[in-house]
Amino acid sequence: MKRFIRTVHIMWYRQIKRFLRAKSRVIGSIVQPIFWLIFFGLGFSGTFRTMSGGMNRNIDYLPFLVPGVVMMSVFFGSFMSGISVIWDREFGFLKEVLVAPVSRDATILGRALGDSTTSVIRGILILSLASALAPSINLAGIPVVLVSMILVALSFTSFGIIIGSKMRSMEGFQLINTFLSMPILFLSGAFYPVQTMPTWMRAIAMINPLTYGVDAARIALTGTGVNSLIADIIMLLVTSSIFVSISAWVFRRTTIE
Amino acid sequence: MDVIESEGLTKRFGDVLAVDNVTFRVREGEIFGFLGPNGAGKTTTINMLITLMRPTEGSARVAGYDIIKEPDKVRKKIGVVFQDPTLDRRLTGWENLYIHGRLYGISSRELKLRIKELFEFVELKGWENKIVQYYSGGMMRRLEIARALLYNPEILFLDEPTLGLDPQSRAKVWDYIREIKSEEGMTIFLTTHYMEEAEKLCDRVAIIDYGRIIALGTVEELKSKVGNEIIYLNTTLDGQEKIFIERLRSLDSIRDLKVLKDGIISLSVNNAPETIPKVLQEAQRLEVEIREVRYLRPSLEDVFLQLTGKGLRDEEATFFDHVRMRRIRMRRGGRR
Ligand SMILES: Nc1ncnc2c1ncn2[C@@H]1O[C@H](COP(=O)(O)OP(=O)(O)OP(=O)(O)O)[C@@H](O)[C@H]1O
Ligand SMILES: [Mg+2]
Repeated sequence: MKRFIRTVHIMWYRQIKRFLRAKSRVIGSIVQPIFWLIFFGLGFSGTFRTMSGGMNRNIDYLPFLVPGVVMMSVFFGSFMSGISVIWDREFGFLKEVLVAPVSRDATILGRALGDSTTSVIRGILILSLASALAPSINLAGIPVVLVSMILVALSFTSFGIIIGSKMRSMEGFQLINTFLSMPILFLSGAFYPVQTMPTWMRAIAMINPLTYGVDAARIALTGTGVNSLIADIIMLLVTSSIFVSISAWVFRRTTIE
Repeated sequence: MDVIESEGLTKRFGDVLAVDNVTFRVREGEIFGFLGPNGAGKTTTINMLITLMRPTEGSARVAGYDIIKEPDKVRKKIGVVFQDPTLDRRLTGWENLYIHGRLYGISSRELKLRIKELFEFVELKGWENKIVQYYSGGMMRRLEIARALLYNPEILFLDEPTLGLDPQSRAKVWDYIREIKSEEGMTIFLTTHYMEEAEKLCDRVAIIDYGRIIALGTVEELKSKVGNEIIYLNTTLDGQEKIFIERLRSLDSIRDLKVLKDGIISLSVNNAPETIPKVLQEAQRLEVEIREVRYLRPSLEDVFLQLTGKGLRDEEATFFDHVRMRRIRMRRGGRR
């Protein structure tokens, strides 16, 4: 057990160190969501108020968008964890990890936790910048947002790791990313409410883990949402444990062939 | 005691038989070399022994544990320096070693001391806090050797430890390897396609080609297989050759004769200076033109050549070019 924790910790440390070295990437990943908030949020807010009708009469678009954009950045940051798995294969570090006398579950969990930490930190930075743009959001909800960010991050780092372990090339990962990230993002209620989607879209949104993260954050920050907060958190707990388990299962079977 | 016991180890990649029924034993405390050309199956053999690839057939025990059934136990006993770098290039040299040490369960305090020692050992002092990306190839290699030594493994695997290094760095790495052997008594399994490396470092050598071990023994044993000395004849091919070869075969002093490519004939003999005049006499009698005669004390290169009929290193260069290169090296004050 002690060994397990030590392994998780050292792999976490490695991901954090790498993150701190890549300063330009960090800045880019914070600026981009802020631009979304400003251009998309402010640009759309007029239209949105007339469109949204009964459900969201009381809230502006910008506060509505803030949890969406925060979760978007957590999602992107986390999913990109898969790329680093491919990089590690390409640059050989994967072998160093595979030949080490440690539990593979621990190494992959440490990695997922490390990448989750960095994307949650990014999420927090964006949230604090966003709260300046949309002062009406309820800052007392931040602990709940934090919990849902962590669960979303764990789900999608693990998801990225699963895909990254199966792919042999960066291009392959990018292709999957293109096919998956847009639907996951747009069918999560991040930019427009799930309730007003066509039925088929709503059906997909309901099996999308990001939907629950966005909803939980939105309830915490603005007080309105689709599900109950408890239901959201339970769904996130379930999906993150499923993804973490699958990623461990996949990584246990990883070879260098 | 044997610390590596391989039994019929075989690896197939689709149609490619990369390692073909390889059986050998490595004794405790020795430097055991796998010598073979590119694509011979050296790396694949290592990958199976270090539990990163599953053999298609056969098995092996490393440090007493079965590589298929007890990979976790094997991993606890070994250190590996892979053929290609496996460092995290975005981190510093120190961080790379620190992460490795923690993965291998060394306590933080002890680790810091060890890292300091090892940076000195591989002469990278002062580079601890530089990002690995800015290291040269030779420095990365040395850092990887340091990393593999952090945790005093029972068996150290080195896959082409001096590949692509300049002569100075190569000599340094050889020194480290000798030092590790003499000071720690570690068993070392190394692969190489430099015969010089195998000759200088290894207690015993297995020559591997097309996935198969074609000879195994101490360097001296292997050399004695090809006779004490070898004469190379560069002849023209003009039809007379067959009779000539038969005549040579009947000479008592010639232990073995092989026709290599481009009209080159190799003769293994006990005493070249005595045999060469006899050979030339025969050639003159049968009007075979001999363009060039050279003789060498055998090296592993010759062993390889005798066994496979081709050169070990660059198959394109004709063999005489190769011999010439080596003579030049000798004249420059090499070892022989
Ligand atoms: N993952 C793989 N998939 C398919 N074929 C492979 C794979 N790895 C190695 N091979 C093939 O197996 C054979 C042996 O390769 P290996 O890398 O073991 O040789 P080597 O002796 O280490 O050569 P080198 O000196 O070039 O490193 C080669 O023909 C190679 O193409
Ligand atoms: Mg190799």
